[in-house]
Amino acid sequence: MVGRPWSELVHRLRAVLRRDAVERELDAELRFHLEREADKYVRAGLPRAAAERRARIALGGVERTKEADREARGVALLDAAIQDLRYAVRTLRLTPGFTLAVIVTLGLGIGATAGIFGVIDRLMFRPPPMMHDPSMVSRVYRAYDFRGTHRTDNSFEYRRYLDLAEWSSSVSQTAAYSPGILAVGVGQDASEMPVGRATASFFSFFDMRPALGRFYSTSEDRAPQGALVAVLSYPYWQSHYGGRRDVLGSRLAIDRGTYTIIGVAPKGFVGTDDGADVVAWIPVTAYGGLRKKTFADNYDWGWLDILVRRKPGVSLAAATADLTTAYRRSWEAERAMDPTLAPVEAAKPAAILAPTQVLRGPDAGAQGRVPFWVAAVAVVTLIVAGANVAGLMLARAFRRRREIALRVALGVGRGRLVGQLFTEGALLAVAGGLVGLGIAWVTASGLLLLYAGGDPVSGAVVDARTVAFCAAITLVVGLATSMAPALFGLHGDLAAALKAGVREGTYQRSRARTALVIVQGALSTALLVAAGLFVRSFANVRGLPLGYDVGHTLVVEVNLRGMTLSTDAQKRLMQRLTDEASALPGVQGATQMVSTPFYSFEGTGISVPGVDSAEHLGPFNLQLVSPGYFRTVGTRILAGRAIDSTDRPGAPLAIVVSAEMARRLWPGQNPLGKCVKVDGPTCSTVVGVSENVVLRQISHQADASYYIPAAQANRAAYGLYVRVRGRSADELALVRRRLQSVMPGVSYVVVIPFSRIVGAAEQSWQIGATMFSALGLLALVLAAIGIYSVIAYNVAQRTHEIGIRIALGARLANVARLVLRDGLRLGGVGLAFGIAIALVAGRWLAPLLFDESAHDPVVIAAVVGVLAGVTCLACAMPAARAARVDPNIALRAD
Amino acid sequence: MDRLDLPQGTLDLLILKALSLEPQHGWAISERLRQVSRAMLDVPQGSLYPALHRLERRGWIKATWGPSENNRHAKFYELTRAGRKQLGDELDAWQKLTTAVSLVLEMR
Repeated sequence: MVGRPWSELVHRLRAVLRRDAVERELDAELRFHLEREADKYVRAGLPRAAAERRARIALGGVERTKEADREARGVALLDAAIQDLRYAVRTLRLTPGFTLAVIVTLGLGIGATAGIFGVIDRLMFRPPPMMHDPSMVSRVYRAYDFRGTHRTDNSFEYRRYLDLAEWSSSVSQTAAYSPGILAVGVGQDASEMPVGRATASFFSFFDMRPALGRFYSTSEDRAPQGALVAVLSYPYWQSHYGGRRDVLGSRLAIDRGTYTIIGVAPKGFVGTDDGADVVAWIPVTAYGGLRKKTFADNYDWGWLDILVRRKPGVSLAAATADLTTAYRRSWEAERAMDPTLAPVEAAKPAAILAPTQVLRGPDAGAQGRVPFWVAAVAVVTLIVAGANVAGLMLARAFRRRREIALRVALGVGRGRLVGQLFTEGALLAVAGGLVGLGIAWVTASGLLLLYAGGDPVSGAVVDARTVAFCAAITLVVGLATSMAPALFGLHGDLAAALKAGVREGTYQRSRARTALVIVQGALSTALLVAAGLFVRSFANVRGLPLGYDVGHTLVVEVNLRGMTLSTDAQKRLMQRLTDEASALPGVQGATQMVSTPFYSFEGTGISVPGVDSAEHLGPFNLQLVSPGYFRTVGTRILAGRAIDSTDRPGAPLAIVVSAEMARRLWPGQNPLGKCVKVDGPTCSTVVGVSENVVLRQISHQADASYYIPAAQANRAAYGLYVRVRGRSADELALVRRRLQSVMPGVSYVVVIPFSRIVGAAEQSWQIGATMFSALGLLALVLAAIGIYSVIAYNVAQRTHEIGIRIALGARLANVARLVLRDGLRLGGVGLAFGIAIALVAGRWLAPLLFDESAHDPVVIAAVVGVLAGVTCLACAMPAARAARVDPNIALRAD
Repeated sequence: MDRLDLPQGTLDLLILKALSLEPQHGWAISERLRQVSRAMLDVPQGSLYPALHRLERRGWIKATWGPSENNRHAKFYELTRAGRKQLGDELDAWQKLTTAVSLVLEMR
C-alpha cells in the first residue's frame, strides 16, 4: 500500500511546518467537544459553570489531551531537536565569554589547518584543472651522472622531445611545454608576463574547447619555424580586450615576434602550472625558431618540460623503462654529434616519470618538504585547539553538574541530556568552522603569497576541496570536543552532586582536564622551540655575509628581443643606460654587470701561468664591471684597488679576483700583480682582491669570482646594478621609465629589486620561520587560555575552601601562592614534556636549519622563560580573584 | 454501574465502525459509542482525539470542517476507501478472535 506512508508523511510534515495551524485546529476541535459535553450536563440540570468543569474532567484535561495528541503526531523527535537547539542557543548566549573563547579557538585551529591544507593540496595534490584522466599523465624528468655527480632535471631540448616521442611506444600522447616570463607589448607598454610555450599536442591533454576561435594545430607547430599564432588566456582576454569577440586576428607582440591571436582558452584553464596568470600560449616552434635557427637540430638548449600520457593498461614502471630506453637512444644520437659526451655506460641516463605537480617531482628539494612540516605543525595546532575546547566544555559540564543532576532528577532522559550536550557542541563547532573558513582564507592567501614571492595567484584561494576539508575537520573536532563532557560530565553519583552542591570540603580535580592542559602545554612548547629554531636559522640566513648589499639595489636586465647590434653598439647602449641611470636624482650609483647571484652565471675559459688546468679549480664566475661597481653593489675590496676609470681600452688589462679565487689559484701567495689570461693570450694583471660573494646557494661555501672592466672586454655587459637612496620598490618605476626611453626599437629593460632575487633563495627558511612562528604563537595563546580556564575553574570551585582558609587567618599572599603553585605545576609538567618532544624531534628538524643546532640552549631557555611568564600571567587573574574572596559571602553562598 | 475498560486496540475498530454509518464529529462519536453500548463502554475522551488523528494520519478517515447540528463549526470525520477496507479487515480479525476466545473459554 502506497497511500499510508505517503499520507503519514504529509500529515507529519504539516504538523511540523504548519504547527500553529494544526494547534489552532486541535484547539477548536476540543473546544467544540467541551461545549457539547457541557451542554449535555446543562440539559441534565447542572449549572453552566459546574457543567463546564465536569466536561473538562470527562475529557481528562485539555492540555494533557493536547500533549497526548502532539506525542502521537510524531513531532516529538523533531520538536526535541528544535528545542535542544533553542536551548543550546539560549545557554550559550548566557555565557558569551565561554562561547566566544570556544568559537575563536576552534576557528583558529580549524582555519589554520584548512588554509594550510588548501595550499598543500594546490601545490602538491590537485591535478591541473580540466586535465583528462590525470592519473595517466606524468611529467618527465631525466637523471644522469655528470663528472661524478648525479643530476636530475626536467629541462629538455626540443630535439630530445622529438626523439622521446618517436622512440617510445608506451605513451599515447606527448607534449612539450615551457612556462616562462616573456616580453608582451612594445615600448613603455612592454612588460614581462607569463607566457606559455606549448606544442599543439599540449591542448589535447585537457578536456576543453576554446572559449573563442581555435587552438593551433600540429601543422602550425613545425620546426624549424612554427606559425606566429597565439591563444589568449581567458583572464587576459577579459582584462586587456574586454572580452571582445573581434580580438581574433588582432596582433600581439610577444618576445621577438608579433603573433596573430587565433583563439581564447576556456575560463579556468591554466595549463599544468598553477602559478601566476598566463597571458597566452604560443607554439614551441614559433618561439624556438625566432630564438635560435637550429633549435630543433641540436641538443644544446634545454628549456622544455615534457608531459606524457601512458597508453591504457601501461604501468608506470613499464612506461619509465620504455622512456629510459628512448632516452638512451637519444643520448647516443647526441653523442654522435658531440663525441666529448660521456658514453651511456658512464652517464647511465634514465627517464623518471613523476606526477604533474612540480613539488612532487624528484628534484623538489626543501621546497617540497617544507609544506609537510607545516602541515604536521598545523595538525598539532589543531590538536591543541581541540584539547582547549574539550577542556572548556569539560569545565562547563562540571560547573553544570548540579543543573544536570537536577534535570535528571526531574526525569530528563540521559539520552536527551547527551543530545543536548551534543547540540551545543555541534552549534559551537559549526560557528567555529565558519570562523575557520575565514581564517583559512587569510592563511592560504598569506602562504601562497610567501610561496609565489609576491606574484598574484590565479584562481580561488579557498576552493571547494578546502571547504570540504574544513567541514570534515569541523565535524571531527566538533564530535571529539562535545564527546568530552558527555563522557566525563555525566559520570559519577548525580544524587551526591545534587546534595553536595559546591559545598564540599575538598574540590575535585578533573584528571581529564589536567591531562588536556598538559598536552596543550607540551605541544605548544615543542612548537615554540621549533619556531625559535627556525627564526634563529632564518636570522642566520639573513645575517650570512653575501658580499653585496641587497636592500637598496635594483637589477636591470636589458633584452634586445632579437635585435642584432654590433658589440660596439651594445657597449655604447650599456654606457648610455649607465649614464641615464646615474643621472636620476634618487640614484646613488649605477654599474654594468653580466651576472646576477642565484640567477645567471657567466664564465669564460681562463688560464693562469704557473697553474695547471686552472679550469679544474673552478667554476670561476665572470663579472663585467664599470667603474664604481664595488661601491654600488657593496662588495668590499680587501687588498689593492677596485676597477676604476683608468681601466680604459688601451690601458693594461686589469682584473680583480675574489679572496676565494685567489686562495684556489695561488694558495699562500700574494695575488696582487699575478697574471690571469681571460679569453686570450694577453695577461690581465690582478689589481685588487675583493671579498667573497655568495652566488649559487645560501651556504658558507664561497664561490670564486673575478671582475674585469667592461671597457676592456671584447663583449658587452648584459645589465646594470642601480643603487637607489630610498626604498628600491619606490624607485623602480622611475628607473624603468627613464631607461626604457633610451631603448631602441622593440628592445626593453626589466627592473627587479635585488631583494626579490635573493629573497627567493632564502624562501624555504623564511616560510619555515613564518609558519612556525605564527602557529607557535597561536598554540601559545591557546595553551595560555587552557591554563587560565583550568585555574580559574579550580578557583571558582574552591571558593568555599578559600573562604574557610581566609576565615581561619590565611593571608592574601598565601592564597595567591596556592593558586599560582597549581598553575605553575601544570605549566611546568607541560613544559618538561614539550622540551623532551622538541629534543627528540630535533633530529628531523636539523637538516632544515641553517647554522643552527636543533638543540640550541638559547632557544630552549627563551621558550622556558616565555612559557613560565605566560603561565604566571594566565594564573594572575584567578589568583587575584581568589585573594579577593570574602569569607562572609563564600561561606553563606549555596 | 460497572464500566468496561476497552481492550488494547479496540478503540480504532469502534471509531471506524461508528463512522461507517455516517460522517460524525468527535463528540458525536463518543456519545454514539456510549449510547450504543448502553453506557457500559466508557470511551476515554482523552484518548479519543489522539486516536482520531492517528487514523486520519494513516489515511483511513478524513476530516472536513462543517456546520454541526446546533449550527457550530465542527470537525467531521468520514471513512475513506482505505478506511472501509481496514474496517472489514479488523472486523474479520475481531470475529476470529472472539470466536477463538469463546471456544477456549467454553472448554470443559
